[in-house]
Amino acid sequence: MSTATDIASVDTVTAADRGRRWSAVVADFCRRRPLGAIGAGVVVLMIVVALTAPGIAPYDPLNIDFAAMLAPPDAAHWLGTDAYGRDVLSRIIYGSQTALIVGFGAAFIGATAGAVLGVGSAYFGGRTDLVVQRFMDIFISFPLIILALAMVAILGNTLPNLIIAITVPMIPRCSLVIRSSALSIREMPYVDAARAAGYGHARIILRHMLPNVMAPYLIMLTSFLGQAILLEASLSFLGLGVQEPTAAWGLMLRGAAVEFAETAPWMALFPGLAISLAVFAFNLFGDSLRDALDPKLRTG
Amino acid sequence: MWRYLINRFLLMIPTLLGVAIIIFLLLRVIPGDVVEAKFMSGEGSGVSNEVLAAERARLGLDKPVWEQFAIWIWGVARFDFGISMWTGGPISEEIALRFALSLQVALMATIVATLLALPLGVIAALKQDTWVDYAVRVFSIAGLAMPSFWLGILMILGFLIFFKWVPPMVYTPFWIDPWQNMVQLVWPALAVGYRYSAVATRMTRSSMLEVLREDYIRTARAKGLWLKLILVRHALKNAMLPVVTVIGLEFAFLLGGLVVTEQVFNLNGLGLLFVQAITRRDYTLTQALVLLVAAAFIFVNFAMDVMYAWLDPRIRFR
Amino acid sequence: MNARRMTWFAGILSATASLLLLTAADALADEKPRSGGELIFPVPSEPPSYDAHREQTFGVIHPVAPHYNGLLRFDPTDPTGTKPVADLAESWTVSDDGLTYIFKLRKGVKFHDGAEMTSADVKASYDKIVFPPAGVVSDRKGQYTVVKAIEAPDANTVVFRLKWPAVSFLASLASPWNWIYRAEILAKDPHWYETHINGTGPFTFVEHVKGSHWVGKKNPNYWDKGKPYLDGYRALFIKSSAAQVAAVRGERAHIQFRGFTPADRDALKAALGDKITVAESPWDCLLMVAPNHQKKPFGDKRVRRALTLALDRYAGSKALSRIAIVKEVAGVQVPGTPYATPPAELEKLAGYGKDINAARAEAKKLLKEAGAEGLTFTLSNRGVPMPYEPVAVWLIDQWRQIGVTVKQEVVEAAAYYGVLKKGEFDIAMDFQCGYTVEPDLDLYKFTSRSKNPSNFGFYEDKVLDDLYEKQSRAKTVDERKKYVREFEKRLLDEEAHYMMTLQWHRIIPHSSKVHGWQVTPSHYLNNMLDTVWLSDGPSH
Repeated sequence: MSTATDIASVDTVTAADRGRRWSAVVADFCRRRPLGAIGAGVVVLMIVVALTAPGIAPYDPLNIDFAAMLAPPDAAHWLGTDAYGRDVLSRIIYGSQTALIVGFGAAFIGATAGAVLGVGSAYFGGRTDLVVQRFMDIFISFPLIILALAMVAILGNTLPNLIIAITVPMIPRCSLVIRSSALSIREMPYVDAARAAGYGHARIILRHMLPNVMAPYLIMLTSFLGQAILLEASLSFLGLGVQEPTAAWGLMLRGAAVEFAETAPWMALFPGLAISLAVFAFNLFGDSLRDALDPKLRTG
Repeated sequence: MWRYLINRFLLMIPTLLGVAIIIFLLLRVIPGDVVEAKFMSGEGSGVSNEVLAAERARLGLDKPVWEQFAIWIWGVARFDFGISMWTGGPISEEIALRFALSLQVALMATIVATLLALPLGVIAALKQDTWVDYAVRVFSIAGLAMPSFWLGILMILGFLIFFKWVPPMVYTPFWIDPWQNMVQLVWPALAVGYRYSAVATRMTRSSMLEVLREDYIRTARAKGLWLKLILVRHALKNAMLPVVTVIGLEFAFLLGGLVVTEQVFNLNGLGLLFVQAITRRDYTLTQALVLLVAAAFIFVNFAMDVMYAWLDPRIRFR
Repeated sequence: MNARRMTWFAGILSATASLLLLTAADALADEKPRSGGELIFPVPSEPPSYDAHREQTFGVIHPVAPHYNGLLRFDPTDPTGTKPVADLAESWTVSDDGLTYIFKLRKGVKFHDGAEMTSADVKASYDKIVFPPAGVVSDRKGQYTVVKAIEAPDANTVVFRLKWPAVSFLASLASPWNWIYRAEILAKDPHWYETHINGTGPFTFVEHVKGSHWVGKKNPNYWDKGKPYLDGYRALFIKSSAAQVAAVRGERAHIQFRGFTPADRDALKAALGDKITVAESPWDCLLMVAPNHQKKPFGDKRVRRALTLALDRYAGSKALSRIAIVKEVAGVQVPGTPYATPPAELEKLAGYGKDINAARAEAKKLLKEAGAEGLTFTLSNRGVPMPYEPVAVWLIDQWRQIGVTVKQEVVEAAAYYGVLKKGEFDIAMDFQCGYTVEPDLDLYKFTSRSKNPSNFGFYEDKVLDDLYEKQSRAKTVDERKKYVREFEKRLLDEEAHYMMTLQWHRIIPHSSKVHGWQVTPSHYLNNMLDTVWLSDGPSH
């Protein structure tokens, strides 16, 4: 199967066709990869929850109510309250916003920067490749937590900085994978042909190389999504992430949640479940997507 | 092949040097230094600027940055990492006990992970797209999804509530009291090993699938169970390379990367030392730790490449 | 009632009384210290160096103090931790003008290496603290600027000559940081004590395993005969508070001397019942809010007053004391100590009144007058979770209730001082901890910025400086009280230069086997362990 013709055929389908094709693809995906479909379902649900948070959260997540401190789950507070009497459910609902912003932000930037570096490095080859790869080696062997600690210490812990701190260690991992895919494409005759035809580097990279690394790019992107959410939780747990009183899952697991774990276990249990469920869903979806996109693993 | 190996070996040097330069500069960009962290960040009173300056001079922090770097890297080249800026003790002494602990946890977690990953991965591949496969995948993805520090909190809480038991919280080296040592470390090893097994299980499954799809195996599979088993052994051998790579790299990562887990289980290992060193702005200690962990990572990478070269003729004869 | 019956009644009374006395005596007999056992305690921080003259952390005091003595110490039985008593000094006299202090030293005191302790050692140690040679750091040098000279006229006499009379001088000589070192060693190498131990204290040094533990054993030649009671002690370096609690709970440790949280206390008490004894005290540590006077609109005292009026300290105390190590509502002195303001007086200060609605209405009015309605700012906080984070969450909520929007910015502990020093903040959380409650030590921080670099409100106030001087040189306790009170009123009410949040609260739930240890407002005090004993064999 030639990937090039595949792309060409996509280009020729009409918009109406495309609509039909998409629904067919989705239906096919659900039928053949039930786990992936479940994952996708949870992801969609999470996005909906994050978007409609103000509408569905029963309380203001910042509202302190000392009269209701450490209340166990009941009719008023379905998942109980925390040490400040804030509603745990509402904080989990609002926390999904933080998780998604960090998750999508970091994964998108990390995978894209990695892809650009990987493709560029593979396309230009030679000395450029050598230098870029040495840099990637350096960053990949750098202990991840030190990078994050240093970034936060230098930049301060605001949300955008947190995203950068999570992104940096992802870039080399993605670039390595993309580079190896791109290397094999560079050797393809049509790339040589394009070069012989006198097309500029930009055009060749954009039109021929990038579309062909879309599959590994998407795979990396989805696997980063879960990792970024997990990393954000770890950093917040260490006190290096988002700060109180913002609602964030990792932050909810910190401090009082650990101290009161015995008498008020709901404080540690539910946010941890939320993190696990989200990462689980992203990974299920990402795995199935990988199986679907990676031709080597395609069942015959 | 020798040329390839020597080349590959020499490439480790610029990488390590790059790591050294970056951590050295990074630390100096972070606001504050060890003298301020020590004398100015407590709840006590402050000391005068002259004293701070004198203390900086004593630690060599008043020299130009390039000179500090030269002194440090010259020491490193002779395997002399200097003294910790915070305690004044030799770095090797600061690290020794913590390294032993981290190494042990990493080894134990690796054993846990391997014991879980190989059988699960192979079974999942053989039974692809059946409920067995789904169960294994759900189990392993759950391992990836649960923050291991959260799992740790739940474990400790579970012991406390159901058994009224608290695992020992102070490290006893294995050679002093093996039982105490194991009772303390087995729980973090399980919590970390589970997560780690998830990565390895997935890798085992997918590389098994790949090998199983090679034509000779397909033909064999059609011929019956007995032959199938023999070939699975054969297949497993071929599928092992990427699995070993993943296990090796994760191992290198575990050495310094267990910050949060160490915090939950109160393990005084390299991860916590990392955080302490950087929050205290103990430049020399942070630099030594980063180099140590990076070197472990780079070396494992190198060892993997050597294995690939040895097993894969296309690389061997390049 | 006739006379006879009266006598009879008195007879019964006195019989009951003597019975009571007897039982009391019995109890005392039971309380007779028992020798033996090893005290095990977690220490949340590890000593950077072993030299207390240069360090600031209790991580040095807790494991290392049992190896040393000071010239004076604070009475280990005094719950306020403010009464200086003899340690290596046996007695002392003060000249009438208050400028000369003469100390007679104990005889027959030996260092652990066998050398006799003399006045030369005291002089050398204090010279190192007060007049450190070049290259030697003395952390508290600034507290001894009053000292003109230290003399050792004979082997058992030490004389301190002062530049001006200072009522707090004896207290500063009882500092738990001022260990007496050997002169001969200091002369050879003033840095020797950073990495070695050689004191006169009740315990000798056995080992320090980095990242793990510190062990001391009974000094058989200790000068205070009969003491110490313990055979030895073992300090475990455990950073995680959960693990420290687990150690006490699992009866693997007896006590942690810094303090636990209310949640930890309740969990320990619930799990171990009367095997746990809880000692509590207000803590000589204060979290306060420093409004940066150089930043708009915090130069306006109406805005500052509004911000302090918004705080419902009494309700905050009730709620926060369940989840954080803060409790007492206090002014500039720890409640219960000699110069503390009585609660009824305190209520008259802005933000200390009992009617929170009236206070908040006034706050809103003040903000309106100052044109600062809907004020928005960033609260800079130190990256130490307990109790900084809960107090910040509480503050943000309190200010929200007068329509002020606050964002928290947490700065890592090592970088935080830089932020404070450079004044790169709107409003910052500031803090002060002391080893004893003493107005001279506690109030200095609030004097004008030009005199005192740890004033992070960045203000000048001549009146405050003047009041500080007056209280420091006051002749009588009552006169001093009056000035301290005036200082407090100006600082917290009239000018609202700083805002106090809540006093820290020290909670020490310890094994009921531990006796002879008194909780005080400072976690730097009472760590010599000479008076501590265990009522039962160690739990091996």
